[in-house]
Amino acid sequence: MPTKQRGSYRGLRQYIVTILFVAAAIPFAVIGGSIYHQYRTSIRKNVTLQLTSMVTHHKESIERFLTEITAALMVTTDLVPCDKMETGALQNVFNSLQKEYGHAFEDMGVIDSKGDHLAYVGPYDLLGKNYSQAAWFKQVLEKNVFISDVFLGFRQVPHFIVAVKQGEGKCGWILRATVDAARFGSLVENVRLGRTGDAFIVTREGYYQTRARVGGGVMEKIEPGSINLSPFEGVKFWEVEDSKGHKVLRAKTWMKDNNWLLIVQQDVDEAFSELFATKNIAMVVFLLGVFLVAVVTFLTTRLLVRKIERADEEKKVLDEQLIQSAKLASIGEISAGIAHEINNPLAIMGEEAGWMQDLLKRDSLKDMTEMADFKDSLQEIAKQAGRCKEITHKLLSFARKMESVIKDVNVNELIDDVVDMVESEAALANIEIIRLYHEHLPLIYSDPSQLRQVLLNLINNALDAIKRGGEVKIETGIGEGDSIAMKVSDTGAGIARENLSKVFDPFFTTKPAGKGTGLGLSICHGIIEKLGGDISVTSEVGKGTTFTISLPLEQKRGE
Amino acid sequence: MLEPRILIVDDEERFVTTLSKRLTERKLDVVGVYSGKDAIEEVTNKLYDVVILDVKMPGLDGVETLREIKKINPGIEVIMLTGHASVDSAVEGMRLGAYEYLMKPCEIDELMEKINGAYELKKDRDERIRQAEIRRMVDQRPA
Repeated sequence: MPTKQRGSYRGLRQYIVTILFVAAAIPFAVIGGSIYHQYRTSIRKNVTLQLTSMVTHHKESIERFLTEITAALMVTTDLVPCDKMETGALQNVFNSLQKEYGHAFEDMGVIDSKGDHLAYVGPYDLLGKNYSQAAWFKQVLEKNVFISDVFLGFRQVPHFIVAVKQGEGKCGWILRATVDAARFGSLVENVRLGRTGDAFIVTREGYYQTRARVGGGVMEKIEPGSINLSPFEGVKFWEVEDSKGHKVLRAKTWMKDNNWLLIVQQDVDEAFSELFATKNIAMVVFLLGVFLVAVVTFLTTRLLVRKIERADEEKKVLDEQLIQSAKLASIGEISAGIAHEINNPLAIMGEEAGWMQDLLKRDSLKDMTEMADFKDSLQEIAKQAGRCKEITHKLLSFARKMESVIKDVNVNELIDDVVDMVESEAALANIEIIRLYHEHLPLIYSDPSQLRQVLLNLINNALDAIKRGGEVKIETGIGEGDSIAMKVSDTGAGIARENLSKVFDPFFTTKPAGKGTGLGLSICHGIIEKLGGDISVTSEVGKGTTFTISLPLEQKRGE
Repeated sequence: MLEPRILIVDDEERFVTTLSKRLTERKLDVVGVYSGKDAIEEVTNKLYDVVILDVKMPGLDGVETLREIKKINPGIEVIMLTGHASVDSAVEGMRLGAYEYLMKPCEIDELMEKINGAYELKKDRDERIRQAEIRRMVDQRPA
């Protein structure tokens, strides 16, 4: 097959593969993509909602805790007069509050309006200390109730205090409780948010009030710019990369009169782990789908293009046969017309020459001196007219629709008949005719006289090709399907490659002028085709030629 | 022996004249005409033994002419002459009672052979008809 044609099939294959693949993959990708997008949006919404609600609830519970202990201290100061609040009474109050609030306090003290520590219950030695210069003391005098940020104080341990003032002037006193920083820390940090969930508080100035899992310890300063500390209402939500390069989701809200910022956070990886897992599964399914589509497209296209290729090849063969048949038919028709018209003048020529020959036999002309020349010329005219007649008759038998006599034919016997006719001629040229018959060759239903004509023609051609000394082999056998095969091979000169395709063309001959009409093989071709068979030729120059005929066991009805 | 009377019918005038001369040279009594119509007229007016009839002619063609001739005189033997392509017509002619057909151009010897064969057949049949008529006359004679 020519390279150009192969290229066009490759192009066709690529074109179909591309079209089919794109047509199948695009909707697939669009549906997959939009489902993933929907799912992603919904997961993001869920995670945001979860974090927002968590930070809101957490804020509420911390504020409730602070409010409750403040209230408890205020109730205590209301109920106990200042002069009764010595260490023993304080111990009782401390015990009952510890019991009430689950040991939320570290210590408790009573301080007078001058800042002197009058009574104290707790692990530190703070009795007699003066707080008049402490920032918290000034705040509580001013505001009556004060909750401090975490600071070190005299004990040099991070803590924060809740202080309540009762009474004014000399009878004014302050009940101060220190909240257990560790306990408060665990209250804040106690966020049930997966493996990476975290909650912490920073002050407006940017100091950690509780420990942050990723970040700093209590009272350490946050990294500058890592958290925006400007005040706002409600809850804010954002995604950020932390100091270790993790992407985290954060929700924040201000509490304690905008002094503390509560932050709840979770790693993006964990927050969206479900989404990522789904994304991975979706990707695998998508890739598998695309792969499947690609494979199916490729295989289907290959099958399709092969079928087209095969159909084209068959069409080409049929076209060639059709062209050959059409060529034979049209040439046949034209030549039949010409031959018929030539026959009449030819008949007249023949008769004229004959009449002259008749005349030459008359006594009156016997003495003519050029008699021999005349006779010779007339004979030649008659001979050439005869040659013309032979040509026109062959042409006509090629074109004419002969009335076939179809009957059972024993091909082996038919070959015997034909060989009998030519055997003596072959023997003269020292050519051996070898017959290799299939012993149980079935009878075929065909036209014996036309088959005889074909065989005679092929054998004569073989003898002509050999000229002197050689062999003609005639074989019979069973063909493909319901057919028999006949082969006539010779050891003659062979047919040149460029002539091989023309041997069945009418008027094609390699014999010298006057020796062959070039009609024999085209007549054979016409006959075999009409009988529903097939004739083909193979040849090698210098080695010989083989004609192969296949004939159906039974001719199709109506042919 | 009487010469067979031959009628040649062909639209090719030169063919008719030359063949006529050749057959006359062979001691036959020959008349030539150039159409089916003339042939019918000839057969109607004169007695012929054998007609040599071209199959393909303008006007009345060979087969139709044969049919008419056989209507007029069924005893006449007809030899059809055909250019090969009209063999089917020639065969049709034989079905209608033609003696034989020959392909143009034909050898004079072959034609003579066919003419003789046809003439013999006609003579033989005429003889038998004659015999039969004699028998009938003898049978009809009052005892």
